Amino acid sequence: MEKSVVTFDKGTTCSSWNYCGERLATGSIDGTLAIFDSVDPASSSFTCTSTSRVHEVSIVKVVWVPPEYGDGVACICADGTLSLWEEVAEDTKPLQWKLCKDFETSSNQVLDMQFGVSFTSLKLVAAYSNGHVKVYELLDPLELKNWQLQAEFQNVIDSVSKFGKAACLSASISWTPQRGESQQLSFVLGFNSNVMQLNSAKVWEFDQDHQRWLPVAELALPEDKGDPVYVVAWAPNIGRPYEVIAVATHKGITIWHLGLNPDLDGRLSVGKVALLSGHVGEVWQMEWDMSGMTLATTGSEGAVRLWQSNLNGIWHEQAAFEPTT
Amino acid sequence: MPGISSESGESSSLVPFSPEVGDPVVYPLHHGLKPPISRLSISWSRGNSLRVSVFLKPQSDADDSEIGGKVVEVKLGSGDGEIDDAQWRRIAYGSVSPFALLQSRKNSMSALSKMSASSSAYEADWWEYVMEYSSDINFLLGGQKLPPSSVIEDPKTILKKVEEPTCLKSAWELLEIFYADKHSQAWMPERLLDWLADYDSLLSGTQPTVHSKLVNFQKDLVSLQAIEDDPKYWEAMSSPLAVGWLDIAVKMLHLHGSYQLDQLGNREIENGLVEAVAVLISKMPRLRPELAPGKLGECYKTKPDFIKAWEKWRAQLTKLDCSTYWVQCDHNRTKEGLKNLLQIMLGNANILSSATCNWIELHISHLLYIRPFTMVSCVSRVFKIIWSLIAPIYLTSCMKQGMGLLEILLYKQPVQHNQLLLKVVTFIVLNIEICRLYELDSVSSKIMKIAGVHHWKHGKKGSGVFWLQQAQDEVCLNRIAQQLFNFVGKSISDESLKQWEGLIELLGSESRTAGGLEFLHKYFILNSNLGCSTGIGISKDPFSRFMMELLLMPLRKPVESLISLMKNPSTPQRFWLPLLYDSVISSLVIFLIGSWLKLLNWQDRPLLNVSQTNLLLNKLQELSMARLRPDFIEADLPSQALSSVRLALATNLGRAILEE
Repeated sequence: MEKSVVTFDKGTTCSSWNYCGERLATGSIDGTLAIFDSVDPASSSFTCTSTSRVHEVSIVKVVWVPPEYGDGVACICADGTLSLWEEVAEDTKPLQWKLCKDFETSSNQVLDMQFGVSFTSLKLVAAYSNGHVKVYELLDPLELKNWQLQAEFQNVIDSVSKFGKAACLSASISWTPQRGESQQLSFVLGFNSNVMQLNSAKVWEFDQDHQRWLPVAELALPEDKGDPVYVVAWAPNIGRPYEVIAVATHKGITIWHLGLNPDLDGRLSVGKVALLSGHVGEVWQMEWDMSGMTLATTGSEGAVRLWQSNLNGIWHEQAAFEPTT
Repeated sequence: MPGISSESGESSSLVPFSPEVGDPVVYPLHHGLKPPISRLSISWSRGNSLRVSVFLKPQSDADDSEIGGKVVEVKLGSGDGEIDDAQWRRIAYGSVSPFALLQSRKNSMSALSKMSASSSAYEADWWEYVMEYSSDINFLLGGQKLPPSSVIEDPKTILKKVEEPTCLKSAWELLEIFYADKHSQAWMPERLLDWLADYDSLLSGTQPTVHSKLVNFQKDLVSLQAIEDDPKYWEAMSSPLAVGWLDIAVKMLHLHGSYQLDQLGNREIENGLVEAVAVLISKMPRLRPELAPGKLGECYKTKPDFIKAWEKWRAQLTKLDCSTYWVQCDHNRTKEGLKNLLQIMLGNANILSSATCNWIELHISHLLYIRPFTMVSCVSRVFKIIWSLIAPIYLTSCMKQGMGLLEILLYKQPVQHNQLLLKVVTFIVLNIEICRLYELDSVSSKIMKIAGVHHWKHGKKGSGVFWLQQAQDEVCLNRIAQQLFNFVGKSISDESLKQWEGLIELLGSESRTAGGLEFLHKYFILNSNLGCSTGIGISKDPFSRFMMELLLMPLRKPVESLISLMKNPSTPQRFWLPLLYDSVISSLVIFLIGSWLKLLNWQDRPLLNVSQTNLLLNKLQELSMARLRPDFIEADLPSQALSSVRLALATNLGRAILEE
């Protein structure tokens, strides 16, 4: 049933497949970015075609740039730095991976970042260890080095709420999977921090008229609002009259339905439809399949779990994979 | 599930679902690595497979292992094996021409409907075309059904062997029933019944079905002696009747022992009752135009006729049910069994429920016997659910869900591969063609943009511009124009010109709106004329020298290009001076191969006439004024550039006046 497609070098810490699953980027403990390609698209074996030293410390996350903007990756390193690397051919030189942008991080570390594609531009959201969120916009579609800070805010519904200094361990961002052109640009974000208000997953939407980001929904019941969030994942929507978002906390994975039409205050209706337990410890990652009907998750107990809703709309664990030698 | 919110009331469900959820199946995932594992990471891949990255915990330095982990690909679900790759290709290629035909009909019809006021006239035609298309595809998805294997049928064979059904074809037919076949909407329950007869066996894999019940009974049949004494016989018979497979029910009834010649004499009441039920079954009114040979029932094409016949038939059933003959029948199993069959036909919900095995069968039995006059709009909602589960080809007909999935699928196709460029280009073209057929313009522009940016950034400037032009990506094209502008004012060497190979043709290949590129095209014509004469002039290559001879003839061409560029409103002002200066510089280079070969400062006779020179002088004047504005962008040129151009123009003007 299973076959091996790539073998990692020693010290590999993270990996990420590109949009079509034909290239793999990995990061390692010594700060090396490696790219794997298949020699023949028909074969399913991948070999390393390029390595670049990105940083002196470990790479903790690699994210591919959307393909409309070239072959590039963003690397988050253990010290919280964020940089963009791109494969380019300059003049007559051969293809190589080059640094195109080092983002200023000052004293705060980048915990997570994701790219969002709108009809006209590429956006980048980064979540920082002080609970702040920065949204950058690419100025030139052909140059990954020119970014402009579009907005900076905290992950709170009520912007006047006061709280002490935030220390965030992790954050998770998920953009609404875009199709078509008219769709609203939004993302969901949750923190794992010492500040209750920051933690719960909130849906942020860009208000075109006032050119600002607004929180339009909070995905937590009143009693769960302070729960640290491990991971969020926005499901692709092919024809549902509502959106589906998964949020993982220590209580389990909750599945939320998010209405499409805002009320008078601009808020979207939310409904918790399931609380899924199965992972013993922390949930590491959640990935929706492309139809948005199956959720694959991994967690600290070392298993991969698949979740689906049955014909009755009841979510359940369909299958689990437990790694063995 | 698309379209169905999980809150939608279970209480109103037509068919009860079982709410229990089974335990997850746990599979081992063999990676062959030596633990401990530090982390797992997952990614969905094509073809319903999941890629799991397994990262090993870094061990001590003494550890001699060279491997840090692995990606293991897991194929989920094994149900896809029913159609092999070759068959898939046959379906894919075969479906192109029917779809192209449908598309062209659609286009011509939309053209026609624009001309005439009533579009409803074409509506009927349109659905005929859709049906034609649907049956073409249906034919591709599977062969024809096999004819009966022998003329003389074995009376004990209750299930005939037909072609092996496939999920794909079954899904397509469901689509046809609900979406395409507008003519048979009135008799949709009957169409569902036919569908179930063909495909019920597909459901047997995961759950009991009427079909599997019959298969099991068929095995027992050989060993059964007095068949009517066995409760299995009666049970097995009630199921096909419940889902409307009348011929099977009647055939099974005829296996009843009372039909045997030696029995007829003393079991005539019993046999009479059996026969009466068999006759009533075979006379069941059916709201459908016709029946396949061998199928039972009486067809009614219109609803009023059907209702009339139905009421009459129901009256006969009730009459038989209340008949006094039952008392005289002393074979209890037969009596109960027959009464049970009558109850099915009279629409007893409990008995229908026990005679059917799953919700689809139960649903069809309800449509047949409980609510025969309802149309099926309520069913279609329920069926929407199963499409999304079993039908990969429903993509095109189920607008929102299908098109959505198709968009995602197309977007995820690779547009690049280092080794197999040609194959990939073919692939992109094919994908774009699919997008065109399905009017997915936004997806095709995305695909073309991905290809364009990829080529552009990987040093294939020409292909990059080509795909971006196809994608009509104004933003990127304008950015490219800006980048190219930066070359203006610097003499373009052969080396850097090579990078733009093919670009000149591309830029001029079709009319476009991107102003910057129109300018560039003209600029390139100018530069290739100037640049070529320059480069070739220095070259010692005999071919190049020959080319130089040729180039000397159309010397006025660069002049025309220059003038047209300067006249063109799309030429950015910041490039006026570089252009003019470039001409002077170029002409200075050309001077190396002959002092007579100059452009603006033409020694023998002026290349620019009076009006042309005046135009350029005016532009120069305009430029001097513009320089005073704060937003003026200064070209990266020597400080004397403006004055040297002005001098050259003035000299030329003088000569031109003299000439004229």
